[in-house]
Amino acid sequence: MSKKDEGENMAAWLLGIKTLKIQPYPLPPLGPHDVRVRVKALGICGSDVHHFKTMRCANFIVKKPMVIGHECAGVIEEVGSGVKSLQVGDRVALEPGISCRQCDLCKSGRYNLCPKMKFFGSPPTNGSLANKVVHPADLCYKLPENVSLEEGAMCEPLSVGVHACRRANISPETRVLIMGAGPIGLITLLAARAFGSPRIVIVDIDDCRLSIAKSLGADETVLVSTNIQDLSKEVELIQNAMGCGVDVSFDCVGLNKTMSTALNATRSGGKVCLIGLAQSETTAPLTPTAAREVDVIGIFRYRNTWPLCLELLRTGKIDVKPLITHRFGFSQKEVEDAFETSAGGGNAIKVMFNL
Amino acid sequence: MGKGGMSHGGAGEGKDGEEEENMAAWLLGINSLKIQPFKLPPLGPHDVRVRMKAVGICGSDVHYLKTMRCADFIVKEPMVIGHECAGIIEEVGSEVKSLVPGDRVALEPGISCWRCNLCKEGRYNLCPEMKFFATPPVHGSLADQVVHPADLCFKLPDNVSLEEGAMCEPLSVGVHACRRANIGPETNVLVMGAGPIGLVTMLAARAFGAPRIVIVDVDDHRLSVAKDLGANDTVKVSTNVQDVAEEVVQIHEVMGAEVDVTFDCAGFNKTMSTALSATRPGGKVCLVGMGHSEMTVPLTPAAAREVDVIGIFRYKNTWPLCLEFLRSGKIDVNPLITHRFGFSQREVEEAFETSARGGTAIKVMFNL
Repeated sequence: MSKKDEGENMAAWLLGIKTLKIQPYPLPPLGPHDVRVRVKALGICGSDVHHFKTMRCANFIVKKPMVIGHECAGVIEEVGSGVKSLQVGDRVALEPGISCRQCDLCKSGRYNLCPKMKFFGSPPTNGSLANKVVHPADLCYKLPENVSLEEGAMCEPLSVGVHACRRANISPETRVLIMGAGPIGLITLLAARAFGSPRIVIVDIDDCRLSIAKSLGADETVLVSTNIQDLSKEVELIQNAMGCGVDVSFDCVGLNKTMSTALNATRSGGKVCLIGLAQSETTAPLTPTAAREVDVIGIFRYRNTWPLCLELLRTGKIDVKPLITHRFGFSQKEVEDAFETSAGGGNAIKVMFNL
Repeated sequence: MGKGGMSHGGAGEGKDGEEEENMAAWLLGINSLKIQPFKLPPLGPHDVRVRMKAVGICGSDVHYLKTMRCADFIVKEPMVIGHECAGIIEEVGSEVKSLVPGDRVALEPGISCWRCNLCKEGRYNLCPEMKFFATPPVHGSLADQVVHPADLCFKLPDNVSLEEGAMCEPLSVGVHACRRANIGPETNVLVMGAGPIGLVTMLAARAFGAPRIVIVDVDDHRLSVAKDLGANDTVKVSTNVQDVAEEVVQIHEVMGAEVDVTFDCAGFNKTMSTALSATRPGGKVCLVGMGHSEMTVPLTPAAAREVDVIGIFRYKNTWPLCLEFLRSGKIDVNPLITHRFGFSQREVEEAFETSARGGTAIKVMFNL
């Protein structure tokens, strides 16, 4: 809970497997287009836990100590000389990734795919579980008056769902199936509803998560197994629960079973969005699905989603507060407890730091 | 039994013979094709009767001959084979205004229901009630004559031959894939497989403006055919999944740029894995070939680069564009027709054997 207003900037550093330590974190000087933000709310993501447990995430390897965390919001403390859009005292949500702005992907708007992306908490870029960070002003979005700092931090995971709904073209005509009722499945559920989806069925192996999904507005839930033999039976249950064709499936898990279920359950001409990044090689019935023109859409993070997320939160079209199940302060012990809680899964959906 | 037994001199012009018995090539069992009478249904008001002049053999026709099935379609009773065809109108139904007897036409094989949501949205190729030539239980068109809806018969421009008309069917697969993948002057294209479908896809991609096309195959001869047909470059690849990484490097070197779109015209784990790995972030992989039903591929790393996998099933609304490409010479399909046969029992058997053998045979064509 230590607030060091004039003191040294402290951050939670990942030093090795399951080793987090709060240590000093000297900030770079403020560039003309940067702002310095006092971080107030920060959520833990599955990828943070993965880095914590294994010192890597897919091809990103933590080779030297790195500040962890990336889902954050805070208060502006200082603005660079060229910054006109923000001022000291503004409450902002931060978009974590700084792309190069010069490559073809950036210039065509697909900056989330920039090969030179510097992303909070993706090695070797330091994250934002710290007292303060320096960040480009254009990646800091002013919170509407009625949106809290915690909700601001939730914009990051929510952005994944929003980006997926855009790529999949969710609308009042799209009936949606969601594989997995974890944090990402749940925000995808909220986003799909906000995009107008008339019917959403969500599946999981865990009853408790399904009941949370139900309370968050899922039309129907289906309890599924991890057993691939149950595939065709489950596809039938899902289609019955939907009552008509599944237009779009979001696989928020990314295992053979979930992918195969999604591919089989989706109607001809529909789409399967692969969001969950569980395994590197997938065995799935790709050909029969391609032969029904079911397309597989890839999702990597998000782009240009903060303004929309903040608007959805401002109007109440989306309420992310129920997803914040656990809160911790910023001390050595609490950081350790928080990560343990998040890693434990179960009834922990979003674990939030209040700094 | 028709004119003088089974033999039917294929090259002749419109046979008079209103009383002739209509003959067709029937699939009776595995490796068993027989020319037998094929009774035509009466002509509906929106139908035409077409005298078949050119029919190509497709890989799916060969598959039915060898196994009596193709994916979930099973041949349960004798069925006329063949679907890639063109011919001459002999008679038009009472409501048909757009065509007259004597018109040379290319036929789009599939009759959809026109009433379901998919049909009404224009995605009629996915119609669950589709009746498609030579997809059981619907009879095909390797016959003297067929009856078909007039709106699925497209008049050939004067300078487009009947054989080219028959080639519209496989070409349509390539055209449909190029549309779904958004091929244009900025899309560098990789084609996996230089068989008939890989080759028509390559021709279509070029016609859509693709600036650079690299094609890969395990077979040197097919690669040299591809080169003759205009591939910028070719890479010889193996069937060994261990070689994926190295082959991706070669493909990139030879492309000299990023791969925007890959067409997998083979559809195996290896080709799909290569396609997914070789395609740039934000690019597309079109799965056209149907080699394996269940695949093991690096889907997640590709999804994490937002490489989308686009499915292709047959085609929709492609005949007018194909005919225009052929008319203007933007596409030349003639080099793909490597073998020709007439319509007799012996020649039908030989033709299928030739097609099944692959090798130097790309498109085997019947001239009736």
